Amino acid sequence: MKTRDQEYREMFMAEALEYYDSMSRHLSELERNTDAGPALNELFRLMHNLKANARAMGFTDLGEVAHHLETLFGLIRDKQREFGGALAKVVFTGVDVMGTMIRAIGASQPLPDATALLDNLDRLVRGEAPIIDAEEEAESEEEAGKKMELSDLVYIQVKKLDNLLNLVGELVIDRDRVMTLAQELGNPALLATAQHLFRISDDLQYSVMDARLVGVGVLLNKFPRVVRDVATAENKEVELILSGQDVQIDRNILQIITDALLHLVRNAVSHGLETPEQRQKAGKPAVGHLTLSALTDREDVLIQVRDDGRGINTEAVRKKAVERGLVSAAEAPKLDEQQVWALLFEPGFSMAEKITDISGRGVGLDVVKLALDSLGGQLRVESELGVGTTFTLVLPTSIAVKGALLVEVEDRPYAVPLMHTDTVLALHPGQLSVVGGLLVTHFQEQAVPLVPLRQLLYDEGDEPLPLATKDNLHGTQQVLVVNYNNRRLGLIVDRFIRQQNIVIKPLSKPLDTIDLFGGVTLLGSGQVCLVLDVPALTRLFLAKRA
Amino acid sequence: MNKRILIVDDSFYMRTMLKNMLTDAGYEVVGEAANGAQAVEMAASTNPDLITLDVILPDNTGLDVLKSLRQIQPSAKVVMCSAVGQEVIVTEAIENGALAYIVKPFSEEKVLEIVGAALQNDAAESAA
Repeated sequence: MKTRDQEYREMFMAEALEYYDSMSRHLSELERNTDAGPALNELFRLMHNLKANARAMGFTDLGEVAHHLETLFGLIRDKQREFGGALAKVVFTGVDVMGTMIRAIGASQPLPDATALLDNLDRLVRGEAPIIDAEEEAESEEEAGKKMELSDLVYIQVKKLDNLLNLVGELVIDRDRVMTLAQELGNPALLATAQHLFRISDDLQYSVMDARLVGVGVLLNKFPRVVRDVATAENKEVELILSGQDVQIDRNILQIITDALLHLVRNAVSHGLETPEQRQKAGKPAVGHLTLSALTDREDVLIQVRDDGRGINTEAVRKKAVERGLVSAAEAPKLDEQQVWALLFEPGFSMAEKITDISGRGVGLDVVKLALDSLGGQLRVESELGVGTTFTLVLPTSIAVKGALLVEVEDRPYAVPLMHTDTVLALHPGQLSVVGGLLVTHFQEQAVPLVPLRQLLYDEGDEPLPLATKDNLHGTQQVLVVNYNNRRLGLIVDRFIRQQNIVIKPLSKPLDTIDLFGGVTLLGSGQVCLVLDVPALTRLFLAKRA
Repeated sequence: MNKRILIVDDSFYMRTMLKNMLTDAGYEVVGEAANGAQAVEMAASTNPDLITLDVILPDNTGLDVLKSLRQIQPSAKVVMCSAVGQEVIVTEAIENGALAYIVKPFSEEKVLEIVGAALQNDAAESAA
């Protein structure tokens, strides 16, 4: 991951090399026509910039040479010195020395000594003749064969990077296939080559992913304006605090969550934070604080929107959810805080009129959930009444590869993205109970409903799930606990295969209408493996449970 | 509220560094111009509270840009940025309405101090 210093260094290098090239070009022009005013002005400007940038980076020796040349060009521009003869020779040497210095900086090598050059430039500025020794002259003759330098930075269209990523995805699938075949054939030479191919393509994949990373700051830095505008419109006083702008994330992921983040921030200012009067009445400072921060957590990037506003009124949300028919009046009181807050992101909830008056939350938050679902991300909510609310977007760093757990049901493999898996459990019948027609186990002091994955996948139609009994459960049950929107669900599978990184390809038509699958991946064996969409499975379970 | 700043400098590196310093401090950078024409255009469209202006620019001298900016955005505070050696231009810039002068290479504290003071000046004026 690049630090800001590394980025500055790369930018400096790219620009310094560009300046050096331009200087060389303008010098040649000046040599042909000593009256070339624009070339002189440009040279002066380039020397000036190189000086300032070099000094800012702490490369004082380079800054010193540029400074001397800038002074000399100031004199030439003001017609106090004339370009040509010995002066031109020293200037060419000067620019060459700067080129050498820039290359040395790029290669992290010590800079060449420039004392003789600086002395000569001083002499020229004072109006004296420079001292040029024969050896130096001979050296400058060799300059014709010197290296040409191009900038170290290129700009590239995101489309091209997308294409590259897709190709790498295809390659990785074939690589896994070659690897499996090599293992089956047992030819040692083939196996060694396949292993090498495996490592190389892994490196390639990470390099391409790395090339797509940008700092979260490119998005966060757009928010001061948004916050200002919303705060002004709502008569709120808000201090926005940004942090973690340097955290790196895939450019397209950032693009996809832009609207979601905009929504959360607007919501926090309009509904989360109180007016200055309300805040003072509650014993809080009049100015509300809104923090937008990014941080990395293992493989994930977390983006948090935190306010110190009124917090979510859980009881009001619970009441409204019953009115909206999202939960039954009987079930609502049983939901814990997290489960109630999760209802805020249900599409039906945000349609509620004037919800902002009672909960301070809820306008269109389902949009946020949709964006996160499309990325395989997660949303976490923490809130305390009167103290504030924090929304955390949990995002993958890259869209290319996802960690997944492969499970088997009726001899077919399915992949479940790790983003949504909590744990795997092996449960004997004694650890299972039947409550209200549902199979339930207790995990981390929470009742987790269980359902055979085959029932969700193969039972067609809108029929409710059959009432669960323990009769047809024989032996230890393999359970994968998945988590979506703070709701846990245990999926009973036939067996766990392994954990591996997968490249998810979109489903082709007409399969893309089946919303239980987020895509498809190819296993090394050549077998097609469907990727389960945990949010969709959870919704299906909720809809079908008796 | 966050003060809005337009950065004018022909070096991408300088602009980026300045932008990072200012946004980290809570200012909003509303635009980055690399030459005089862009500067004038962006100043008109973004209506910034403050403009940091490099004295040496490719298409115009910074001084000409300053004069144009003072005409189209008289309310915007202008702070000149320059490496040492161009004091003559800077003096003339101050005479033409620039409020202050940041010397490159600039330290973060110095930039924030000078920008803060220039904007303070703004507050004093509007309070008066």
